[in-house]
Amino acid sequence: MDFDKELDARGLNCPLPILRTKKALTDMQSGQVLKIVATDPGSLKDFQAFSRQTGNELLSHAEANREFVFFMKRK
Amino acid sequence: MNEANPGALAPLVAGGAFLLAFIFGAVGNRTNFCTMGAVSDWVNMGSLDRMRMWLLAIAVAILGASGLHLAGVVDLSKSIYQTPNFTWLSYVVGGFLFGVGMTLGSGCGSKTLIRVGTGNLKSVVVYIFLGIAAYMTLRGLFGAFRVGVLEKATVTLPAGQDLPSLFATYLGLSRAVWMAILASVVAGALLGYVYASKSFRANFDHTLGGVVTGLVVVGGWYVSGHVGYVAEDPNTLQEAFVATNTGRMESFSFVAPLAFTLEYLMFWTDKSKIITYGIASALGVIAGSAAYALATRTFRWEGFRDAEDTAMHMLGGTLMGFGGITALGCTIGQGISGFSTLALGSILTFVFIVAGSAATMKWQYWRLGR
Repeated sequence: MDFDKELDARGLNCPLPILRTKKALTDMQSGQVLKIVATDPGSLKDFQAFSRQTGNELLSHAEANREFVFFMKRK
Repeated sequence: MNEANPGALAPLVAGGAFLLAFIFGAVGNRTNFCTMGAVSDWVNMGSLDRMRMWLLAIAVAILGASGLHLAGVVDLSKSIYQTPNFTWLSYVVGGFLFGVGMTLGSGCGSKTLIRVGTGNLKSVVVYIFLGIAAYMTLRGLFGAFRVGVLEKATVTLPAGQDLPSLFATYLGLSRAVWMAILASVVAGALLGYVYASKSFRANFDHTLGGVVTGLVVVGGWYVSGHVGYVAEDPNTLQEAFVATNTGRMESFSFVAPLAFTLEYLMFWTDKSKIITYGIASALGVIAGSAAYALATRTFRWEGFRDAEDTAMHMLGGTLMGFGGITALGCTIGQGISGFSTLALGSILTFVFIVAGSAATMKWQYWRLGR
């Protein structure tokens, strides 16, 4: 999937992946896509809730090699 | 009420604590119950669902603890939370610093144990720093500051610091009547607020996490305050709460028990040391969380990202150890167990833990923009 910016949140635990995502999205334009790579096991639920609450669409998520990859579209 | 040999009751008390903590660890892992996460969801994304889970646990614990007390099964005034000494500065400073620490350390004491069970080695480091700082605050360097400075700011109340005792003192009626009224009103208001949310009701895990956590705390009161209660210890001729570190009735709290777990390991050959209620509860949460993680194949090793991440977790553990002992408890100890006794200090500590955590998240966000 094409993306405009990538955020490396590997090795970070709550609340830092969400805080860094929030900051990254504020620096992006509406419609742009942010790719986030995280390792926190709780990140899936966190990003689903973040998307639901903020309206930034979670386009997809996948897990491979103990890493979670999320693609989020700036609202 | 027991008149049995206290030594024979100790395994029952420790076993009961372990079993309840095991359930809490497993359910906490499954439902993502996390008091720091509750603050994070609120501050960083405007979601109050996990805060409602915490409030649901408080409501269930209030109803259960009050019910046990009014039925004569336990006596909540025998806990550490309802003393007449209202050490307000300790609650404020300790609560705030605990809130700062749990944000820097990726979760409070209970979440640290749950993370240890899932293979998070960062949380093992937090555990060690929290335990050492807690011990230093109980009996060491930090303890001198706690007792010599913070605890000097004390108001001695005419009765216990629980709301039923205060209302009975100033407004008349008995403590028991006020307990029934206040428990119903406070828990009822919390339940009304919690279930007014459609998004909370839509996810069964929210209810599961809140209700089970609340019931575990109530079960904790029963185990320590009823099963482990000895009216007259044959050795001291005084009443005793078997296998407790405080000598008082306990329910779940995850600061001092982490220190006592380290102490137990370091004084292993000292036969006077036993596995207490608190030690068993800490081990139980790790075991329950690990069992769930292994059963669902979600166990994974995690380590530090870099030097800053390491330093923040070490600082977080230290602040939680100091703050938790100073405030007489953590998000579970004061935030649910203490709150269930309707103690004024517990409510004040709860507010300042949330404030400390929220302020730290604002600081972390500000740092990202520098």
